[in-house]
Amino acid sequence: MSIGLRRRLIDLACRALQATLPTPLQAWGWAIRCEAAAIPDDSKALLFTLGSLCGLMPRAVASRLLTIFASLVGDHVFRPEGSTIMNIVNAATRRPRALGIVCLTSAVLLGTAYMAIAGAPMRYLGVNLGALIIGFTLLLLLERAARAGQGWTDGANLLAAGALLATAFFGSQADGIARWVYWGGLAMQPSLILLPTMLVAFSRFRNVPATVSIVAAAVAMALQPDRAMAAMLLICLTALAVMRPDRHVCAALAASAASFAATLIRADRLPAVPYVDQILYTSFDLHAVAGLAVLGGLMLLVVPSVIGWRRAAQSRAIYVAFGAVWFAVTLAAALGNYPTPVVGYGGSAIIGYALSLLALPKFSSANALATAPKCGAIDEMPTDGPLSVVLA
Amino acid sequence: MVLAVLLDADGQWSHGYELARRADVKSGTLYPLLIRLEAQGHLEAEWQQPVEAGRPPRHAYRLTESGVQLARANPPVHPVTTAVRSRQATI
Repeated sequence: MSIGLRRRLIDLACRALQATLPTPLQAWGWAIRCEAAAIPDDSKALLFTLGSLCGLMPRAVASRLLTIFASLVGDHVFRPEGSTIMNIVNAATRRPRALGIVCLTSAVLLGTAYMAIAGAPMRYLGVNLGALIIGFTLLLLLERAARAGQGWTDGANLLAAGALLATAFFGSQADGIARWVYWGGLAMQPSLILLPTMLVAFSRFRNVPATVSIVAAAVAMALQPDRAMAAMLLICLTALAVMRPDRHVCAALAASAASFAATLIRADRLPAVPYVDQILYTSFDLHAVAGLAVLGGLMLLVVPSVIGWRRAAQSRAIYVAFGAVWFAVTLAAALGNYPTPVVGYGGSAIIGYALSLLALPKFSSANALATAPKCGAIDEMPTDGPLSVVLA
Repeated sequence: MVLAVLLDADGQWSHGYELARRADVKSGTLYPLLIRLEAQGHLEAEWQQPVEAGRPPRHAYRLTESGVQLARANPPVHPVTTAVRSRQATI
């Protein structure tokens, strides 16, 4: 290799490194360039430059990707120090909604993989993916509307409770059970869409209208009847009663216990629907990969709750409510002929999960972050405004 | 080893190539380490004007007070000299 060529390669490598390095590290690119120029032996200078390129390029590329990711989720959640992976993990865990979005998307994709392996009609896959888009669209639209204030929340809660009661009275029936409404040729389960958000919202702010809404929802579950959703109410409110006992929670808990008892008395003989019910068991019979996809998807649903519990001590009740809701739905799906949320066929749970993210804090608080592993200065985090949950 | 070499410099400025050679590390290992040390305040860096005309300036490094403490608190586990290493290579 000629001397000129080696020096040109050095120059090229240095330029590539300088072009890739983020602004705060640009000086280091110059440092390597100047250092290489000071090495009299061209071969050694080339080796020195290529070594530096190999050592710094991954960091430079990661930093660029991080910048793009930060622009999507908010650049203030990144710290200048710390490893790239830790930065991404920290960013995700400091944004519960963003984490929920990632978990939901992953769970839906895993569910789609299961259905594809199981040979489900392509329409089913399309419905689930369509529901994901609808869920995120609603999340985006309602997040803005949600800033309108507490009045919106109370009104939305009451409206949701009314919708659940209306479903019990006027919804589509099967074997005496009225849980669904038909829209655009698709059967939707309003309780699976609305109740998770109502419960997580209730864990955050409780007042008389919110309590009345939950009690009305409990009555609706008893009337429909829906044992799975009544169990969800009971489990979530029991967890809340343990963590934040007050008169609102106690009243709602009593109503949910009565509702669940009522659903136990009434028979529920609906058969399992393929790709919807009992898939936790049947997926493993099909193929281990299908089983793992379903199991993994279901586990993802509670990840925001687990991480929120660990990182935001003062908001634990909210994360417990969120986790209890989706754990209860999963448990019901495992024990009876009830829809397997998100990973099974059905858009209601997907939309419901997306909407329930609205009730999570937008950011983990700075106080909670103080307990996080130390890897640098922590920026002051913006706080979440008053709860403003708007229901569909 | 890089910390030990910087400590040996006893407050004198060192350059990247010389550091890599004395510490026997690749430049791809050296620079990420220097960047981290500087970000953590253990390393001081400055641009030095060339001694000869027409040569580029050079980036030079030395430990700060906290860097000296860090280096003293973390001595090399097995300080292997070049002579010992070449002997090992022939065994």
